[in-house]
Amino acid sequence: MQAAIGVPETSGSRRPGLLGWLLMTPMLLWLAAFVIAPTLILLVYSFCQRDDLGQVVYAFTWENYERIFFDPDTGKFGSTYLTVFLRSILYAGLTTVICLVVGYPVAWFIGRAPEGRRNLLLTLVMIPFWTSFLIRTYAWITILSTNGLLNSFLVDYTRLIAEPFEMLYTPGAVVLGLVYSYLPFLILPVYGSVEKLDNSLVEAAFDLGAGPVRAFQKVILPLTQPGIVAGILLVFIPSLGMFAITQLMGGGTEPTIGEVIQNQFLQARDWPFGAALGMTIVLLFAVVFWCTSRRQNALEN
Amino acid sequence: MKTTRLLVALALLVTALPTYGQAKKKQVLNLFCWSEYVPQSVIDGFTKETGIKVNVENYASNEEMLSKLLAGGSNYDLVQPSEYTVEALIKVDKLEPLNFEAIPNIKNIDPKYMKLPFDPEGKYSVPWMVGTVGIVVNTAKVKTPITGYKDVFDGTHKRRIVVLNDAREIVTWALATVGVSANDLTPENLEKAKPILANWLPQVKVYDSDSPKTALLNGDVDLGIVWSGEAAILWKKNKKFTYVLPAEGAHQFIDSLAIPKGAPNKENAEKFINYILKPEVSVLVSEDFPYTNPNAEAVKLLKPEQRANPASYPTGEPKLETFKDIGKAAKDIDVLVTDLKAAKKKK
Repeated sequence: MQAAIGVPETSGSRRPGLLGWLLMTPMLLWLAAFVIAPTLILLVYSFCQRDDLGQVVYAFTWENYERIFFDPDTGKFGSTYLTVFLRSILYAGLTTVICLVVGYPVAWFIGRAPEGRRNLLLTLVMIPFWTSFLIRTYAWITILSTNGLLNSFLVDYTRLIAEPFEMLYTPGAVVLGLVYSYLPFLILPVYGSVEKLDNSLVEAAFDLGAGPVRAFQKVILPLTQPGIVAGILLVFIPSLGMFAITQLMGGGTEPTIGEVIQNQFLQARDWPFGAALGMTIVLLFAVVFWCTSRRQNALEN
Repeated sequence: MKTTRLLVALALLVTALPTYGQAKKKQVLNLFCWSEYVPQSVIDGFTKETGIKVNVENYASNEEMLSKLLAGGSNYDLVQPSEYTVEALIKVDKLEPLNFEAIPNIKNIDPKYMKLPFDPEGKYSVPWMVGTVGIVVNTAKVKTPITGYKDVFDGTHKRRIVVLNDAREIVTWALATVGVSANDLTPENLEKAKPILANWLPQVKVYDSDSPKTALLNGDVDLGIVWSGEAAILWKKNKKFTYVLPAEGAHQFIDSLAIPKGAPNKENAEKFINYILKPEVSVLVSEDFPYTNPNAEAVKLLKPEQRANPASYPTGEPKLETFKDIGKAAKDIDVLVTDLKAAKKKK
């Protein structure tokens, strides 16, 4: 993945020898067993049917994909599931933008901090990972609920507002939960790029008369682009499929695609349809990935 | 050369592994049960008494259990299906008939919970806990009387309601208000439920099957349609949370224990069933999960406070109905509810 986004192409320069292959074997086996095989199973299931008990019946059908893309009553393009997809993309997109706006300056600050302090700052970014994200999400519920910490602080102590404020179980809470969970995934790759950035190039830009905006736009941004692209992918993709946070903090009133897929497997006994929805996401990811890496290559050339 | 030697070593290691496993083999029981339903104290007590080690695996819905069991390749000895799943498993011949000679404590079970329609001869299942789905009212906030689903969704409690995130439950409630049985899910009847749900669902603030009590406790909602066990815990914490069985009719579920076909340790599973049927063990379950205990002898041992809990032991003559397996209709219900939830935003 790293090779495709950012790091200059090295293939062709050296083919891996026997030792190289041997060292790669665990990784390749892991990929084959836990990425390629499950995806293939999903692909096969997505064209299958199901019986009364929800067991997969191996009989070919397009029905699952038709259900995703077409309205069952009118037969026209557009369905509930596309609406759900669109909403999930909206949530994921908003999360990514906020993470970028908040995370980039943080990454920049850490990357430019004195060397001794950098590790401390990075540790601070990573400390939340020491606790399970589910527990951290439940902590947010405690903070945001009507009788929660924030509301009782605002109402009882500061008397800023008279009535508790409705925060939990709203779209805003969902985005907050997603940003909170995925922010480090943006900070870390951007930090990697910022740290590698040669400061003399920035100085040169200033010496040649560029203002701060221009130096940022023409020098800093292109040089940190690999980190930004990696960060965007690392935030956008998991937040699109996330179901636990959206359900816990959104109350499940506006289902996201992750929740709908989960339902197919756990409640509706419809694995083939769940698989078809999953494959659609895989396809979407492939498109996003292809677009970003193409843009990346174009920029490098 | 070095690689060959490495491969030989690896091969030896791989062949040695199974023997190692067998050498350590002792009496085990592979229990596949709901998460948060079998207290650890019960499992420890069983191991202490019989020396049988219990391997626990959890599931979060009947459907999850069903699909894992039907997929095969598993070696579960004991599962914990609800009544309609027992029925489905009997239908496809996936349950072992129980040997009741090994389960003498079955005599403790109240006869009204035995030989129910999902297992008419009482051959395959033993009831674990019985519960209902009803309405919890925060009486500190809601002053008008609530007697049924219609009162919950009369429009005055908009966005103050938590309901189970379970399509079949939700559809059942809507159908109850027009007098249709929970098991009569024909397309025509679902069509009847549609306008009702289109009115109801936008009023819901939270969908939560795992812990609907949280939203009620935190004050985020004032009303809930939840499992009776959740309601019982709320009442235990604060008496302002009352439990009402809807006048239109309520869903009663019977979570049972059953042994899957071909279970490797059937005798151990029967020993476990017999163990949990002891009154003094059964009360431990009631302590943690205050559903209705079908064990008549255990109920006698409960504290008066536990027996007075209106959610665990409802009084009066409520209209109750158990679920039957609905097969393919599970999909139609999911489509209906997903559609309506998504449609909410379109307006």
